[in-house]
Amino acid sequence: MTGSGKRVLACLVVMAIMWILAAQARAQDEAASHLLRYRDREASTGYYEEYEVMPRHLRAFIEPRPGPADVVGYSPNAPTIRDRTRLADSHYGIRFYDRRRCETCHPEEARNLHTTRANLTCRQCHGGEPIPGSRYYYAPMNPIRRHAYICAKCHQGANASFATYRVHEPNPALLSTQATFPVLFWVFWIMIVIAAGTFLLFLPHTALWGIRELLAGKKGTHREREDQ
Amino acid sequence: MSSWQERKAPTVNAKTNDEATRVRRFTPLQRFFHGGLLAAFIVQGATGLGRMSVETGWGKGLCRLFGGYESALVLHKIVGILMIAGFLIHMVYLLVVIDWRRFPRMLLGPDSLVPSPRDARQFFEHLGWFFGVRPHPEFDRWGYWEKFDYWAVFWGMVILGISGLLLAFPVASSRMVPGWGLNVALWVHRIEALLAMAHVFIIHFFVAHVRRHSFPMDRAMFEGTVDLESTRREKPAWLARLKEAGRFEERLATEAPPFVRAASYLFGFVAMAAGIALLVGAVINLPRITW
Ligand code: HEC
Ligand code: HEC
Ligand code: HEC
Repeated sequence: MTGSGKRVLACLVVMAIMWILAAQARAQDEAASHLLRYRDREASTGYYEEYEVMPRHLRAFIEPRPGPADVVGYSPNAPTIRDRTRLADSHYGIRFYDRRRCETCHPEEARNLHTTRANLTCRQCHGGEPIPGSRYYYAPMNPIRRHAYICAKCHQGANASFATYRVHEPNPALLSTQATFPVLFWVFWIMIVIAAGTFLLFLPHTALWGIRELLAGKKGTHREREDQ
Repeated sequence: MSSWQERKAPTVNAKTNDEATRVRRFTPLQRFFHGGLLAAFIVQGATGLGRMSVETGWGKGLCRLFGGYESALVLHKIVGILMIAGFLIHMVYLLVVIDWRRFPRMLLGPDSLVPSPRDARQFFEHLGWFFGVRPHPEFDRWGYWEKFDYWAVFWGMVILGISGLLLAFPVASSRMVPGWGLNVALWVHRIEALLAMAHVFIIHFFVAHVRRHSFPMDRAMFEGTVDLESTRREKPAWLARLKEAGRFEERLATEAPPFVRAASYLFGFVAMAAGIALLVGAVINLPRITW
């Protein structure tokens, strides 16, 4: 064999060894699955496989609902807009919008911990005019980018899962919550039943106990037995 | 009547506290853990209620005690993590004190805190005694209410610890549970905490301080000993068992020195005052906050 022939052979052997030994890195894998591989990337971008939707386990509520009936009063064309969550300006066509406070029209939404406790203004999350509906494709509030554009402004490292936290939490006691956030509804009521059960049992029990010991006196507590 | 009841405790001189009028009930380690739990419980209650009701003046004042709304949370998290550590140490303690030779059987025995059918029976017998239709049940070492208290704290620690850890590190925990789990965790944490506080500040305090048996304070958890006379009436089965096993004498103790007694009264009453202040403040202010 010639010298160059040997060299070619050696190269082939080395290449074969490299081909066999080199473990396939995760990154070389084209497949993406939210269970295994790009999970972190998916969680932080909100893009799941090839779909622009949230994976099922992140979905706790049934959405979106049509606007409240009183929208009718605000504008002539409001009734034709059944669902404002996809509008670029969610207040489009609504009269008397200027110079009002958000709370006057959205009192329920003002009852949230970020507003009442952390003193955030609505616009720190919802942004300047126009305020887009939360499902408008380019809205910062759109769930595919909400975590990055809204929550991460204050919560460093927020991912899409974090952004499914319900800022405007429905009242867990209400029956309507059973339809919109069933987990919260059921957990709330189970906890309430446990608490109420404990007190229904032990408050009367303890009161009777106290009265009985008071009547029996400190010494004679167990008179019956001592008499035997 | 068993013989131990006739037996006179070694009388020396009632005035000098040398009489063996008390029975040892809790070890120093158990009392240390009870004291730590008590202190942590009050701090968690005060910081938690303060933050919860910060919209009211009372809540603001409570937070100010701990340096404000933010630092109250820092303290709440630190004490919470200490409590979880205490709980884990308690698990190790359980593994050590369990009598492994008689392992599964002793769980239903009288020295165990595991509820047994006898507890259900004694509960109803006790109820009967409340109404004067039955003699007083002869409780053993642990009454059913004491077992209930233990397990209420046990599961309360698990529930509050897990939901608290989720809430303490919301961004990190949203990698393990979906973000809306934090809404759920907050409600679980709140309701369980309010339940625990109401139970301790009403029922536990009543049982250990107010009822005639223990009035003005049951010093068992602070001094480690209980009054022989009233234990003879409430837990005769325990004393009989000690007597039978020949362990009664070694458990007899004299009254603690006055300064120990004074210290335990002070500790107990300060804790009770704090708890009742929290309870009253919460009842007044919680209806006025945004939940
Ligand atoms: C004149 C009353 C009015 C005022 C003031 C007002 N809104 Fe609205 N807003 C409405 C109505 C009506 C709708 C449509 C009904 C709906 O979807 O709830 C709406 C819709 C929205 C939506 C879209 C809801 C969705 O489905 O995505 C957001 C977000 C919103 N408002 C935020 C705000 C904020 C923030 C402010 C204060 C800067 C504000 N609104 C002030 C009446 C008002
Ligand atoms: C911490 C950020 C944050 C703050 C502060 C905030 N919002 Fe929102 N808001 C959201 C998010 C996130 C959604 C989307 C909820 C969804 O997709 O269902 C939302 C949705 C809404 C909606 C749509 C209806 C609903 O309940 O889902 C309205 C209306 C609204 N906000 C009004 C307000 C008003 C009024 C304020 C001020 C009092 C306010 N928001 C403050 C984050 C915030
Ligand atoms: C402008 C700053 C800001 C933005 C934007 C913001 N937050 Fe917050 N968030 C806060 C502050 C401040 C607190 C602490 C509130 C407190 O201490 O009561 C908080 C607390 C929280 C908590 C913890 C609540 C609890 O009960 O412990 C969650 C969960 C949360 N935010 C979720 C979100 C989500 C989801 C978004 C995006 C839709 C968001 N936040 C956007 C400032 C912000």
